Amino acid sequence: MWAAKGKNYCRQISDSVFRLLANSFSLDRHWIQNHIACCPRCRQRLAHLGKVELALSLLKSQPHNLNLLMRANTQAIGVLKHSLRTTTKAEHLRNIRPDLSFIEKCAKYKNAAAGAAACIVIAFLIKGSTFTSAKFLETKGRQAVEHYYASNAGEDIAKDIFTKEA
Amino acid sequence: MTGKAVGIEVLWDIPIPKALEKTQGWVLSAMQQYGRELVNMLWRILGNEQDVCDAYQDTFLKLAHHEQGCKPENVKAYVFRSASNIAISILRHKLVEKNHMPNGITKENDSSPTNELDTKYLTEKMRAGIAQLPEHFREVITLHDLGDLPYEQTAKILGVTAATARVYRCKAVQILAVWMRKEIR
Repeated sequence: MWAAKGKNYCRQISDSVFRLLANSFSLDRHWIQNHIACCPRCRQRLAHLGKVELALSLLKSQPHNLNLLMRANTQAIGVLKHSLRTTTKAEHLRNIRPDLSFIEKCAKYKNAAAGAAACIVIAFLIKGSTFTSAKFLETKGRQAVEHYYASNAGEDIAKDIFTKEA
Repeated sequence: MTGKAVGIEVLWDIPIPKALEKTQGWVLSAMQQYGRELVNMLWRILGNEQDVCDAYQDTFLKLAHHEQGCKPENVKAYVFRSASNIAISILRHKLVEKNHMPNGITKENDSSPTNELDTKYLTEKMRAGIAQLPEHFREVITLHDLGDLPYEQTAKILGVTAATARVYRCKAVQILAVWMRKEIR
């Protein structure tokens, strides 16, 4: 019990130490950025580390044929013993194709979805701006008419008319 | 008659789970469960479809013949480590073959500033670098980076802690960066 508690405690401390170190030495820190900007050696090292990360992501991004899993399964099942080769599971594996994730399945609708979203946003903006503009026009029109009455018929009459309307 | 009786006796001597294991249905289950991830990892290591199929076949053949057909304790760990090792040995074999080719054939792959950002050049150099890495660094790179396994699972497969796996990965990237720098010079 105590050992388990102690272990958790140690883990918490080590996690916070790692977090502290990561915050102090992350590449986003100003003093590190300034140093890298001035030091050609560090700049070169960083560039090469970036190149390794780039190469790794290139390896990951290269696509293979969709039937590769099927081919690999067929070849592998072919060398297993006869009782395994004839099972329904083996037959299913021979014809298996990689399942697409939900995001990949929806990818073909992304343009339509983006268009619909844009239309909705535009409709909201138009609606909002139309109402604001109408209200603004109404206020300004009322002020103009009030001013006309005040100048031609007198302040008292204008006040009387417009306070009654209000 | 006597032979049959002996056969039954022998069968009774085997514990029931082991007898069930002898059917080896778990090999197909493993194929169904980890097949996709394995194919992705092998493709990223090897970059050639026929080699991927060969490595995949060897992996499951090895699994089926593990200790006379017994199921390993951790099938996932066994399958991923075997696949990674088989793929690396295929890759090394290919590199050796390539190095023994006449100069004219390999000349296009020479390192030069124009090739530095060429996709094919970079991926080939990276594969060659990974194949030359020390075993524990290489396994972290293949399982975590190319196999898309999180650090916790990678560590479990390799029998180390997640923090150690992170350190190994960091060291591996540093070594690869140094090698790439030397290539360019």
